[in-house]
Amino acid sequence: MEKMKLKLLYSDLKADIDIIEKELEIALNSSSHLINDASLHLLQAGGKRIRPVFVLISAKFGHYSIEQVKNIAVPLELIHSASLVHDDVIDNSDLRRGRHTVKAQWNNRVAMYTGDFIFARALEYVTSIENKRVHQILAKTMVEICNGEVIQIEDKFRENQNIKDYFRRIKRKTALLIESSCELGAVVSGLDDKNVRHLKQFGYYVGMSYQIVDDILDFTATDKELGKPAGSDLLQGNITLPILLLKDHPTIAKFIELAQKGEVTEEQRKEMLNIVRKSDAIKQAITVSNQYLRKALKEVDALPNHPMKKKLRDIALFIGKRKF
Amino acid sequence: MDATYIQESIEQFKTNIFMHVRHRTLLRYVGTPVLNENQLFYLLLPFLNGETWNDQIGESAITVGIVHASLNEHDKINENNATTKEQQLTVLSGDYYSGRYYEILAQVGNIPLIKQLSEGIANRCEHQIKVYESNSYSLDEWYETISVIQTELIKRFYQVYGFEQYSTFLHTDLLLQQLQKEMQHIQDGHYSSIMRKMSDSALADGKSLEQELQNKIDALKDLLDENLRSSILKDELKLYIKQKVAF
Repeated sequence: MEKMKLKLLYSDLKADIDIIEKELEIALNSSSHLINDASLHLLQAGGKRIRPVFVLISAKFGHYSIEQVKNIAVPLELIHSASLVHDDVIDNSDLRRGRHTVKAQWNNRVAMYTGDFIFARALEYVTSIENKRVHQILAKTMVEICNGEVIQIEDKFRENQNIKDYFRRIKRKTALLIESSCELGAVVSGLDDKNVRHLKQFGYYVGMSYQIVDDILDFTATDKELGKPAGSDLLQGNITLPILLLKDHPTIAKFIELAQKGEVTEEQRKEMLNIVRKSDAIKQAITVSNQYLRKALKEVDALPNHPMKKKLRDIALFIGKRKF
Repeated sequence: MDATYIQESIEQFKTNIFMHVRHRTLLRYVGTPVLNENQLFYLLLPFLNGETWNDQIGESAITVGIVHASLNEHDKINENNATTKEQQLTVLSGDYYSGRYYEILAQVGNIPLIKQLSEGIANRCEHQIKVYESNSYSLDEWYETISVIQTELIKRFYQVYGFEQYSTFLHTDLLLQQLQKEMQHIQDGHYSSIMRKMSDSALADGKSLEQELQNKIDALKDLLDENLRSSILKDELKLYIKQKVAF
Protein backbone atom coordinates (compact mmCIF):
# COMPACT_ATOMS: atom_id res chain seq x y z
CA MET A 1 0.00 0.00 0.00
CA GLU A 2 2.75 2.45 1.00
CA LYS A 3 4.71 1.61 -2.14
CA MET A 4 1.59 2.25 -4.21
CA LYS A 5 1.10 5.64 -2.56
CA LEU A 6 4.66 6.55 -3.39
CA LYS A 7 4.23 5.41 -6.97
CA LEU A 8 1.14 7.59 -7.23
CA LEU A 9 3.26 10.56 -6.17
CA TYR A 10 5.49 10.14 -9.17
CA SER A 11 2.90 8.81 -11.57
CA ASP A 12 3.65 11.53 -14.13
CA LEU A 13 7.19 10.12 -14.37
CA LYS A 14 5.82 6.65 -15.03
CA ALA A 15 6.85 6.48 -18.70
CA ASP A 16 10.47 7.26 -17.80
CA ILE A 17 10.45 4.95 -14.80
CA ASP A 18 9.21 2.17 -17.07
CA ILE A 19 12.21 2.86 -19.32
CA ILE A 20 14.48 2.54 -16.28
CA GLU A 21 12.81 -0.77 -15.30
CA LYS A 22 13.34 -2.12 -18.79
CA GLU A 23 16.97 -0.98 -18.79
CA LEU A 24 17.55 -2.64 -15.41
CA GLU A 25 16.40 -5.92 -16.92
CA ILE A 26 18.63 -5.46 -19.96
CA ALA A 27 21.63 -4.51 -17.82
CA LEU A 28 21.26 -7.66 -15.74
CA ASN A 29 20.85 -10.01 -18.67
CA SER A 30 23.54 -12.66 -18.39
CA SER A 31 24.79 -15.72 -20.23
CA SER A 32 24.59 -17.53 -16.88
CA HIS A 33 21.10 -18.82 -16.12
CA LEU A 34 21.93 -18.79 -12.40
CA ILE A 35 22.85 -15.09 -12.46
CA ASN A 36 19.70 -14.44 -14.51
CA ASP A 37 17.58 -16.28 -11.94
CA ALA A 38 19.21 -14.48 -9.02
CA SER A 39 18.95 -11.07 -10.70
CA LEU A 40 15.36 -11.63 -11.72
CA HIS A 41 14.64 -12.69 -8.15
CA LEU A 42 15.97 -9.31 -7.05
CA LEU A 43 14.15 -7.25 -9.66
CA GLN A 44 10.87 -8.98 -8.90
CA ALA A 45 11.28 -8.11 -5.22
CA GLY A 46 10.80 -4.58 -6.48
CA GLY A 47 11.71 -1.79 -4.13
CA LYS A 48 10.69 1.82 -4.12
CA ARG A 49 13.21 2.85 -6.81
CA ILE A 50 13.62 6.11 -4.94
CA ARG A 51 17.18 6.60 -6.17
CA PRO A 52 16.25 6.60 -9.88
CA VAL A 53 13.25 8.79 -9.07
CA PHE A 54 15.49 11.37 -7.39
CA VAL A 55 17.83 11.26 -10.41
CA LEU A 56 14.92 11.92 -12.78
CA ILE A 57 13.39 14.72 -10.71
CA SER A 58 16.74 16.45 -10.14
CA ALA A 59 17.54 16.22 -13.84
CA LYS A 60 14.23 17.93 -14.65
CA PHE A 61 15.72 21.17 -13.27
CA GLY A 62 18.29 21.12 -16.09
CA HIS A 63 18.25 20.05 -19.75
CA TYR A 64 16.33 16.84 -19.34
CA SER A 65 16.78 13.89 -21.68
CA ILE A 66 15.79 10.42 -20.49
CA GLU A 67 18.36 8.91 -22.87
CA GLN A 68 21.08 10.79 -20.98
CA VAL A 69 19.60 10.54 -17.49
CA LYS A 70 19.00 6.79 -17.59
CA ASN A 71 22.78 6.35 -17.85
CA ILE A 72 23.08 7.40 -14.24
CA ALA A 73 19.67 6.34 -12.87
CA VAL A 74 20.17 2.69 -13.85
CA PRO A 75 23.68 2.30 -12.37
CA LEU A 76 22.63 3.92 -9.09
CA GLU A 77 19.79 1.43 -8.66
CA LEU A 78 22.11 -1.43 -9.64
CA ILE A 79 24.71 -0.34 -7.07
CA HIS A 80 21.99 -0.18 -4.43
CA SER A 81 20.74 -3.68 -5.38
CA ALA A 82 24.25 -5.19 -5.43
CA SER A 83 25.02 -3.81 -2.00
CA LEU A 84 21.80 -5.34 -0.65
CA VAL A 85 22.83 -8.77 -1.97
CA HIS A 86 26.18 -8.48 -0.16
CA ASP A 87 24.56 -6.97 2.97
CA ASP A 88 22.34 -10.04 3.28
CA VAL A 89 25.48 -12.19 3.45
CA ILE A 90 26.96 -9.90 6.11
CA ASP A 91 23.73 -9.82 8.14
CA ASN A 92 22.99 -13.51 7.51
CA SER A 93 19.50 -12.43 6.41
CA ASP A 94 17.23 -15.02 4.88
CA LEU A 95 14.37 -12.64 4.16
CA ARG A 96 14.13 -9.24 2.52
CA ARG A 97 10.80 -7.59 1.75
CA GLY A 98 9.19 -10.92 2.63
CA ARG A 99 11.14 -12.85 -0.01
CA HIS A 100 14.09 -15.19 0.30
CA THR A 101 17.39 -13.44 -0.20
CA VAL A 102 19.86 -14.62 -2.86
CA LYS A 103 22.10 -16.10 -0.17
CA ALA A 104 19.15 -18.00 1.35
CA GLN A 105 17.80 -19.19 -1.99
CA TRP A 106 21.25 -20.36 -3.18
CA ASN A 107 24.30 -19.73 -0.96
CA ASN A 108 26.76 -17.03 0.14
CA ARG A 109 29.13 -17.55 -2.78
CA VAL A 110 26.32 -17.24 -5.32
CA ALA A 111 25.35 -14.02 -3.56
CA MET A 112 28.94 -12.74 -3.74
CA TYR A 113 29.28 -13.44 -7.46
CA THR A 114 25.80 -12.09 -8.21
CA GLY A 115 26.59 -8.89 -6.30
CA ASP A 116 29.94 -8.52 -8.06
CA PHE A 117 28.26 -9.11 -11.40
CA ILE A 118 25.66 -6.40 -10.69
CA PHE A 119 28.34 -3.92 -9.51
CA ALA A 120 30.29 -4.61 -12.70
CA ARG A 121 27.23 -4.12 -14.89
CA ALA A 122 26.53 -0.83 -13.10
CA LEU A 123 29.99 0.49 -13.93
CA GLU A 124 29.83 -0.86 -17.47
CA TYR A 125 26.54 1.00 -17.93
CA VAL A 126 27.81 4.28 -16.53
CA THR A 127 30.84 4.33 -18.86
CA SER A 128 28.52 5.63 -21.55
CA ILE A 129 28.94 8.95 -19.69
CA GLU A 130 32.29 10.52 -20.45
CA ASN A 131 32.07 13.32 -17.88
CA LYS A 132 34.93 12.65 -15.42
CA ARG A 133 33.10 14.47 -12.62
CA VAL A 134 30.22 11.96 -12.74
CA HIS A 135 32.63 9.05 -12.25
CA GLN A 136 34.47 10.81 -9.46
CA ILE A 137 31.25 11.47 -7.53
CA LEU A 138 30.00 7.92 -8.03
CA ALA A 139 33.33 6.28 -7.14
CA LYS A 140 33.71 8.36 -3.99
CA THR A 141 30.17 7.43 -3.00
CA MET A 142 30.88 3.70 -3.46
CA VAL A 143 34.02 3.87 -1.33
CA GLU A 144 32.32 5.90 1.38
CA ILE A 145 29.31 3.56 1.55
CA CYS A 146 31.75 0.74 2.11
CA ASN A 147 33.57 2.67 4.81
CA GLY A 148 30.19 3.24 6.46
CA GLU A 149 29.50 -0.49 6.46
CA VAL A 150 32.91 -1.22 7.96
CA ILE A 151 32.15 1.28 10.74
CA GLN A 152 28.73 -0.33 11.25
CA ILE A 153 30.38 -3.69 11.86
CA GLU A 154 32.94 -2.13 14.19
CA ASP A 155 30.11 -0.43 16.10
CA LYS A 156 27.99 -3.56 16.51
CA PHE A 157 27.03 -4.00 20.17
CA ARG A 158 29.53 -1.24 21.08
CA GLU A 159 28.34 0.26 24.34
CA ASN A 160 30.11 3.61 24.32
CA GLN A 161 28.67 4.96 21.09
CA ASN A 162 26.70 8.17 20.85
CA ILE A 163 24.22 9.88 18.54
CA LYS A 164 27.05 11.51 16.59
CA ASP A 165 28.44 8.05 15.76
CA TYR A 166 24.97 7.05 14.62
CA PHE A 167 24.60 10.08 12.32
CA ARG A 168 28.03 9.46 10.82
CA ARG A 169 27.05 5.87 10.15
CA ILE A 170 23.67 6.51 8.53
CA LYS A 171 25.13 9.33 6.45
CA ARG A 172 27.38 6.82 4.74
CA LYS A 173 24.99 3.89 4.85
CA THR A 174 22.00 5.62 3.24
CA ALA A 175 22.14 9.38 2.87
CA LEU A 176 25.17 9.40 0.56
CA LEU A 177 23.59 7.37 -2.21
CA ILE A 178 20.42 9.50 -2.17
CA GLU A 179 22.57 12.65 -2.04
CA SER A 180 24.55 11.38 -5.04
CA SER A 181 21.36 10.46 -6.90
CA CYS A 182 20.16 14.06 -6.66
CA GLU A 183 23.61 15.51 -7.39
CA LEU A 184 24.30 13.26 -10.38
CA GLY A 185 20.84 13.81 -11.90
CA ALA A 186 21.53 17.54 -11.71
CA VAL A 187 25.09 17.23 -13.07
CA VAL A 188 24.19 15.11 -16.10
CA SER A 189 21.45 17.54 -17.06
CA GLY A 190 23.93 20.42 -16.98
CA LEU A 191 22.48 22.34 -14.04
CA ASP A 192 24.59 25.19 -12.59
CA ASP A 193 26.77 24.51 -9.55
CA LYS A 194 24.65 26.49 -7.10
CA ASN A 195 21.51 24.47 -7.82
CA VAL A 196 23.47 21.20 -8.00
CA ARG A 197 24.51 21.99 -4.41
CA HIS A 198 20.91 22.63 -3.30
CA LEU A 199 19.76 19.31 -4.80
CA LYS A 200 22.73 17.48 -3.32
CA GLN A 201 21.98 18.88 0.15
CA PHE A 202 18.31 18.07 -0.30
CA GLY A 203 19.27 14.46 -1.04
CA TYR A 204 21.50 14.30 2.02
CA TYR A 205 18.80 15.59 4.40
CA VAL A 206 16.10 13.37 2.90
CA GLY A 207 18.47 10.40 3.09
CA MET A 208 19.13 11.02 6.77
CA SER A 209 15.39 11.31 7.47
CA TYR A 210 14.73 8.18 5.39
CA GLN A 211 17.16 6.08 7.43
CA ILE A 212 15.93 7.41 10.77
CA VAL A 213 12.36 6.49 9.76
CA ASP A 214 13.61 3.09 8.63
CA ASP A 215 15.22 2.58 12.03
CA ILE A 216 12.03 3.64 13.80
CA LEU A 217 9.92 1.30 11.66
CA ASP A 218 12.18 -1.60 12.60
CA PHE A 219 10.57 -1.31 16.06
CA THR A 220 7.10 0.02 15.31
CA ALA A 221 6.04 -1.94 12.19
CA THR A 222 4.81 -5.51 12.34
CA ASP A 223 6.84 -8.55 11.25
CA LYS A 224 4.50 -8.90 8.29
CA GLU A 225 4.88 -5.28 7.21
CA LEU A 226 8.67 -5.51 7.48
CA GLY A 227 8.96 -8.93 5.86
CA LYS A 228 11.31 -9.91 8.72
CA PRO A 229 11.07 -9.98 12.53
CA ALA A 230 10.64 -6.53 14.06
CA GLY A 231 13.66 -5.53 16.12
CA SER A 232 16.05 -7.34 13.77
CA ASP A 233 18.47 -4.38 13.76
CA LEU A 234 19.01 -4.61 17.49
CA LEU A 235 19.18 -8.40 17.42
CA GLN A 236 22.08 -8.00 15.00
CA GLY A 237 23.79 -5.47 17.23
CA ASN A 238 22.95 -2.33 15.24
CA ILE A 239 22.32 0.34 17.84
CA THR A 240 19.98 2.79 16.12
CA LEU A 241 18.53 6.13 17.22
CA PRO A 242 15.55 4.84 19.28
CA ILE A 243 17.91 2.60 21.26
CA LEU A 244 20.53 5.32 21.72
CA LEU A 245 17.74 7.46 23.19
CA LEU A 246 16.82 4.60 25.54
CA LYS A 247 20.30 3.37 26.29
CA ASP A 248 20.04 3.68 30.06
CA HIS A 249 16.84 1.64 30.32
CA PRO A 250 17.85 -1.46 32.36
CA THR A 251 15.78 -3.94 30.32
CA ILE A 252 17.18 -2.61 27.04
CA ALA A 253 20.75 -2.79 28.34
CA LYS A 254 20.13 -6.39 29.44
CA PHE A 255 18.53 -7.18 26.06
CA ILE A 256 21.63 -5.92 24.20
CA GLU A 257 23.79 -8.20 26.34
CA LEU A 258 21.56 -11.20 25.53
CA ALA A 259 21.47 -10.31 21.82
CA GLN A 260 25.25 -10.24 21.73
CA LYS A 261 25.31 -13.76 23.16
CA GLY A 262 22.56 -14.82 20.73
CA GLU A 263 20.33 -15.82 23.65
CA VAL A 264 17.19 -13.75 23.00
CA THR A 265 13.89 -15.61 23.32
CA GLU A 266 10.76 -14.66 21.37
CA GLU A 267 9.18 -13.46 24.60
CA GLN A 268 12.13 -11.18 25.35
CA ARG A 269 12.02 -9.77 21.81
CA LYS A 270 8.34 -8.89 22.27
CA GLU A 271 9.05 -7.33 25.66
CA MET A 272 11.81 -5.20 24.15
CA LEU A 273 9.49 -4.09 21.32
CA ASN A 274 6.82 -3.13 23.87
CA ILE A 275 9.25 -1.02 25.86
CA VAL A 276 10.54 0.80 22.78
CA ARG A 277 7.07 1.36 21.31
CA LYS A 278 5.69 2.79 24.57
CA SER A 279 8.70 4.98 25.27
CA ASP A 280 9.34 8.59 24.30
CA ALA A 281 12.28 7.45 22.19
CA ILE A 282 10.10 6.93 19.13
CA LYS A 283 8.62 10.42 19.41
CA GLN A 284 12.05 11.93 19.90
CA ALA A 285 13.44 10.04 16.90
CA ILE A 286 10.51 11.26 14.78
CA THR A 287 11.35 14.82 15.88
CA VAL A 288 14.95 14.37 14.72
CA SER A 289 13.75 12.96 11.39
CA ASN A 290 11.42 15.94 10.97
CA GLN A 291 14.29 18.34 11.62
CA TYR A 292 16.14 16.80 8.68
CA LEU A 293 13.00 17.02 6.57
CA ARG A 294 12.63 20.71 7.35
CA LYS A 295 16.21 21.28 6.23
CA ALA A 296 15.48 19.33 3.05
CA LEU A 297 12.44 21.50 2.32
CA LYS A 298 14.52 24.65 2.84
CA GLU A 299 16.85 23.43 0.09
CA VAL A 300 13.84 22.97 -2.18
CA ASP A 301 12.75 26.54 -1.44
CA ALA A 302 16.13 27.78 -2.66
CA LEU A 303 15.69 26.12 -6.07
CA PRO A 304 14.36 28.08 -9.06
CA ASN A 305 10.62 27.92 -9.74
CA HIS A 306 9.77 24.65 -11.38
CA PRO A 307 6.80 22.24 -11.25
CA MET A 308 9.18 19.59 -9.86
CA LYS A 309 9.65 21.56 -6.63
CA LYS A 310 6.26 20.38 -5.43
CA LYS A 311 7.15 16.80 -6.33
CA LEU A 312 10.37 16.98 -4.31
CA ARG A 313 8.44 18.32 -1.32
CA ASP A 314 5.72 15.67 -1.61
CA ILE A 315 8.16 12.79 -1.86
CA ALA A 316 10.29 14.11 1.00
CA LEU A 317 7.21 14.43 3.19
CA PHE A 318 6.01 10.98 2.20
CA ILE A 319 9.37 9.48 3.09
CA GLY A 320 9.29 11.18 6.48
CA LYS A 321 5.77 10.03 7.27
CA ARG A 322 5.73 6.56 5.75
CA LYS A 323 4.37 3.72 7.83
CA PHE A 324 6.63 0.93 6.53
CA MET B 1 67.68 -8.54 -15.89
CA ASP B 2 67.54 -11.89 -14.09
CA ALA B 3 65.04 -13.84 -11.99
CA THR B 4 65.92 -11.77 -8.91
CA TYR B 5 65.17 -8.51 -10.73
CA ILE B 6 61.85 -9.91 -11.98
CA GLN B 7 60.94 -11.11 -8.49
CA GLU B 8 61.86 -7.74 -6.99
CA SER B 9 59.74 -5.95 -9.59
CA ILE B 10 56.79 -8.15 -8.66
CA GLU B 11 57.35 -7.48 -4.94
CA GLN B 12 57.50 -3.72 -5.54
CA PHE B 13 54.36 -3.91 -7.64
CA LYS B 14 52.61 -5.82 -4.87
CA THR B 15 53.64 -3.17 -2.33
CA ASN B 16 52.23 -0.46 -4.60
CA ILE B 17 48.91 -2.31 -4.79
CA PHE B 18 48.80 -2.64 -0.98
CA MET B 19 49.48 1.09 -0.57
CA HIS B 20 46.51 1.97 -2.81
CA VAL B 21 44.01 -0.09 -0.79
CA ARG B 22 45.38 0.38 2.71
CA HIS B 23 42.55 0.46 5.25
CA ARG B 24 43.22 0.32 8.99
CA THR B 25 40.25 -1.83 10.03
CA LEU B 26 40.39 -4.18 7.05
CA LEU B 27 44.11 -4.68 7.55
CA ARG B 28 43.52 -5.54 11.20
CA TYR B 29 40.77 -8.11 10.64
CA VAL B 30 41.28 -9.37 7.09
CA GLY B 31 45.00 -8.81 6.52
CA THR B 32 46.75 -7.73 3.34
CA PRO B 33 45.05 -8.44 -0.02
CA VAL B 34 45.55 -11.87 -1.56
CA LEU B 35 47.41 -11.60 -4.86
CA ASN B 36 48.59 -14.22 -7.32
CA GLU B 37 52.20 -13.53 -8.29
CA ASN B 38 51.79 -15.29 -11.63
CA GLN B 39 49.07 -12.80 -12.56
CA LEU B 40 51.19 -9.90 -11.32
CA PHE B 41 54.06 -11.11 -13.51
CA TYR B 42 51.81 -10.96 -16.59
CA LEU B 43 50.63 -7.48 -15.69
CA LEU B 44 54.28 -6.39 -15.65
CA LEU B 45 55.39 -8.49 -18.63
CA PRO B 46 55.12 -5.73 -21.29
CA PHE B 47 57.16 -3.42 -19.03
CA LEU B 48 59.76 -6.11 -18.31
CA ASN B 49 60.00 -6.82 -22.04
CA GLY B 50 60.79 -3.17 -22.74
CA GLU B 51 57.44 -1.91 -24.08
CA THR B 52 56.68 1.80 -23.78
CA TRP B 53 55.50 2.22 -20.21
CA ASN B 54 54.50 5.40 -18.39
CA ASP B 55 52.90 6.41 -15.08
CA GLN B 56 49.40 6.06 -16.47
CA ILE B 57 50.01 2.49 -17.66
CA GLY B 58 51.74 1.67 -14.37
CA GLU B 59 48.79 2.98 -12.36
CA SER B 60 46.37 1.12 -14.64
CA ALA B 61 48.27 -2.12 -13.98
CA ILE B 62 47.91 -1.43 -10.24
CA THR B 63 44.13 -1.08 -10.61
CA VAL B 64 43.95 -4.45 -12.39
CA GLY B 65 45.84 -5.93 -9.43
CA ILE B 66 43.30 -4.28 -7.12
CA VAL B 67 40.40 -5.85 -9.03
CA HIS B 68 42.05 -9.26 -8.64
CA ALA B 69 42.44 -8.59 -4.91
CA SER B 70 38.76 -7.63 -4.70
CA LEU B 71 37.51 -10.80 -6.38
CA ASN B 72 39.97 -12.96 -4.43
CA GLU B 73 38.46 -11.67 -1.17
CA HIS B 74 35.01 -12.80 -2.24
CA ASP B 75 36.39 -16.25 -3.11
CA LYS B 76 37.23 -16.55 0.60
CA ILE B 77 33.59 -16.31 1.70
CA ASN B 78 32.24 -19.49 3.23
CA GLU B 79 29.35 -20.89 1.21
CA ASN B 80 27.03 -21.41 4.16
CA ASN B 81 28.25 -19.38 7.09
CA ALA B 82 29.80 -15.95 6.90
CA THR B 83 28.68 -14.69 10.30
CA THR B 84 32.07 -14.08 11.92
CA LYS B 85 33.38 -10.52 12.05
CA GLU B 86 36.32 -11.59 9.88
CA GLN B 87 34.05 -13.00 7.16
CA GLN B 88 31.76 -9.96 7.28
CA LEU B 89 34.74 -7.68 6.82
CA THR B 90 36.09 -9.93 4.06
CA VAL B 91 32.89 -9.24 2.09
CA LEU B 92 33.45 -5.53 2.64
CA SER B 93 37.15 -5.63 1.82
CA GLY B 94 36.26 -7.00 -1.62
CA ASP B 95 33.70 -4.23 -2.08
CA TYR B 96 36.13 -1.62 -0.80
CA TYR B 97 38.88 -2.69 -3.20
CA SER B 98 36.34 -2.65 -6.00
CA GLY B 99 35.37 0.93 -5.11
CA ARG B 100 39.05 1.92 -4.92
CA TYR B 101 39.92 0.67 -8.40
CA TYR B 102 37.02 2.68 -9.78
CA GLU B 103 38.00 5.73 -7.73
CA ILE B 104 41.62 5.65 -8.97
CA LEU B 105 40.59 5.32 -12.62
CA ALA B 106 37.82 7.93 -12.25
CA GLN B 107 40.36 10.39 -10.83
CA VAL B 108 42.27 10.38 -14.13
CA GLY B 109 39.18 9.86 -16.30
CA ASN B 110 40.39 6.49 -17.64
CA ILE B 111 36.92 5.49 -18.81
CA PRO B 112 38.09 2.99 -21.49
CA LEU B 113 39.79 0.88 -18.82
CA ILE B 114 36.80 1.18 -16.43
CA LYS B 115 34.63 -0.16 -19.25
CA GLN B 116 36.98 -3.01 -20.14
CA LEU B 117 37.47 -4.07 -16.53
CA SER B 118 33.78 -3.95 -15.66
CA GLU B 119 32.98 -6.09 -18.72
CA GLY B 120 35.78 -8.43 -17.70
CA ILE B 121 34.54 -8.72 -14.10
CA ALA B 122 31.01 -9.52 -15.29
CA ASN B 123 32.35 -12.21 -17.63
CA ARG B 124 34.55 -13.66 -14.89
CA CYS B 125 31.60 -13.80 -12.46
CA GLU B 126 29.52 -15.64 -15.06
CA HIS B 127 32.24 -18.28 -15.22
CA GLN B 128 32.88 -18.44 -11.48
CA ILE B 129 29.23 -19.09 -10.74
CA LYS B 130 29.17 -22.09 -13.10
CA VAL B 131 30.21 -24.46 -10.32
CA TYR B 132 26.86 -23.75 -8.64
CA GLU B 133 24.79 -24.38 -11.76
CA SER B 134 23.00 -27.65 -12.37
CA ASN B 135 24.13 -27.75 -16.03
CA SER B 136 26.83 -30.20 -16.96
CA TYR B 137 29.77 -28.86 -18.93
CA SER B 138 32.49 -30.64 -20.92
CA LEU B 139 36.09 -30.66 -19.73
CA ASP B 140 36.99 -28.20 -22.50
CA GLU B 141 34.33 -25.81 -21.24
CA TRP B 142 35.79 -26.08 -17.75
CA TYR B 143 39.29 -25.34 -19.10
CA GLU B 144 37.83 -22.25 -20.73
CA THR B 145 36.30 -21.24 -17.38
CA ILE B 146 39.61 -21.61 -15.54
CA SER B 147 41.33 -19.64 -18.27
CA VAL B 148 38.78 -16.79 -18.05
CA ILE B 149 39.07 -16.66 -14.25
CA GLN B 150 42.86 -16.48 -14.48
CA THR B 151 43.37 -14.21 -17.47
CA GLU B 152 40.29 -12.15 -18.34
CA LEU B 153 41.22 -8.94 -16.55
CA ILE B 154 44.83 -8.96 -17.72
CA LYS B 155 43.61 -9.58 -21.27
CA ARG B 156 41.39 -6.47 -20.99
CA PHE B 157 44.38 -4.43 -19.76
CA TYR B 158 46.41 -5.65 -22.76
CA GLN B 159 43.57 -4.64 -25.09
CA VAL B 160 43.42 -1.07 -23.79
CA TYR B 161 47.19 -0.51 -24.11
CA GLY B 162 47.88 -2.49 -27.30
CA PHE B 163 49.77 -5.35 -25.63
CA GLU B 164 47.66 -8.12 -27.23
CA GLN B 165 50.79 -9.89 -28.51
CA TYR B 166 51.33 -11.13 -24.93
CA SER B 167 47.90 -12.78 -24.70
CA THR B 168 49.11 -16.09 -26.13
CA PHE B 169 51.62 -16.65 -23.30
CA LEU B 170 49.14 -15.34 -20.78
CA HIS B 171 46.46 -17.89 -21.70
CA THR B 172 48.71 -20.90 -22.05
CA ASP B 173 50.92 -20.22 -19.06
CA LEU B 174 48.29 -19.21 -16.48
CA LEU B 175 46.00 -22.10 -17.42
CA LEU B 176 48.97 -24.46 -17.23
CA GLN B 177 50.09 -23.17 -13.82
CA GLN B 178 46.57 -23.34 -12.40
CA LEU B 179 46.09 -26.91 -13.62
CA GLN B 180 49.45 -27.89 -12.13
CA LYS B 181 48.34 -26.40 -8.81
CA GLU B 182 44.99 -28.23 -8.94
CA MET B 183 46.75 -31.47 -9.85
CA GLN B 184 48.99 -31.11 -6.81
CA HIS B 185 45.93 -30.53 -4.57
CA ILE B 186 44.20 -33.59 -6.02
CA GLN B 187 47.27 -35.70 -5.36
CA ASP B 188 47.16 -34.39 -1.78
CA GLY B 189 43.54 -35.49 -1.58
CA HIS B 190 41.89 -32.06 -1.89
CA TYR B 191 39.43 -31.26 -4.65
CA SER B 192 38.42 -27.65 -5.26
CA SER B 193 34.76 -26.99 -6.24
CA ILE B 194 35.71 -26.68 -9.89
CA MET B 195 37.74 -29.91 -9.84
CA ARG B 196 34.79 -31.74 -8.28
CA LYS B 197 32.63 -30.58 -11.16
CA MET B 198 35.34 -31.51 -13.66
CA SER B 199 35.64 -34.92 -12.07
CA ASP B 200 31.89 -35.43 -12.65
CA SER B 201 32.32 -34.39 -16.29
CA ALA B 202 35.26 -36.79 -16.76
CA LEU B 203 33.39 -39.67 -15.11
CA ALA B 204 30.33 -39.06 -17.29
CA ASP B 205 32.62 -39.63 -20.30
CA GLY B 206 34.16 -42.70 -18.65
CA LYS B 207 37.50 -40.89 -18.15
CA SER B 208 39.77 -40.27 -15.18
CA LEU B 209 40.18 -36.61 -14.26
CA GLU B 210 43.80 -37.04 -13.21
CA GLN B 211 44.70 -38.62 -16.54
CA GLU B 212 42.82 -35.93 -18.46
CA LEU B 213 44.53 -33.20 -16.47
CA GLN B 214 47.93 -34.74 -17.07
CA ASN B 215 47.26 -34.91 -20.82
CA LYS B 216 46.15 -31.28 -20.83
CA ILE B 217 49.18 -30.18 -18.80
CA ASP B 218 51.52 -31.97 -21.22
CA ALA B 219 49.79 -30.43 -24.23
CA LEU B 220 49.94 -26.95 -22.69
CA LYS B 221 53.65 -27.38 -21.90
CA ASP B 222 54.33 -28.28 -25.53
CA LEU B 223 52.31 -25.33 -26.72
CA LEU B 224 54.02 -22.92 -24.34
CA ASP B 225 57.44 -24.23 -25.39
CA GLU B 226 56.56 -23.71 -29.03
CA ASN B 227 55.20 -20.21 -28.35
CA LEU B 228 58.28 -19.23 -26.40
CA ARG B 229 60.65 -20.44 -29.12
CA SER B 230 59.07 -18.19 -31.71
CA SER B 231 58.36 -15.31 -29.35
CA ILE B 232 59.45 -11.69 -29.04
CA LEU B 233 60.24 -12.13 -25.35
CA LYS B 234 63.67 -11.41 -23.89
CA ASP B 235 65.64 -14.56 -23.09
CA GLU B 236 65.57 -13.86 -19.33
CA LEU B 237 61.78 -13.72 -19.42
CA LYS B 238 61.57 -16.97 -21.41
CA LEU B 239 63.79 -18.61 -18.82
CA TYR B 240 61.71 -17.22 -15.95
CA ILE B 241 58.49 -18.58 -17.47
CA LYS B 242 60.07 -21.98 -18.13
CA GLN B 243 61.35 -22.21 -14.56
CA LYS B 244 57.90 -21.40 -13.20
CA VAL B 245 56.23 -24.30 -14.98
CA ALA B 246 59.19 -26.65 -14.40
CA PHE B 247 59.89 -27.89 -17.92
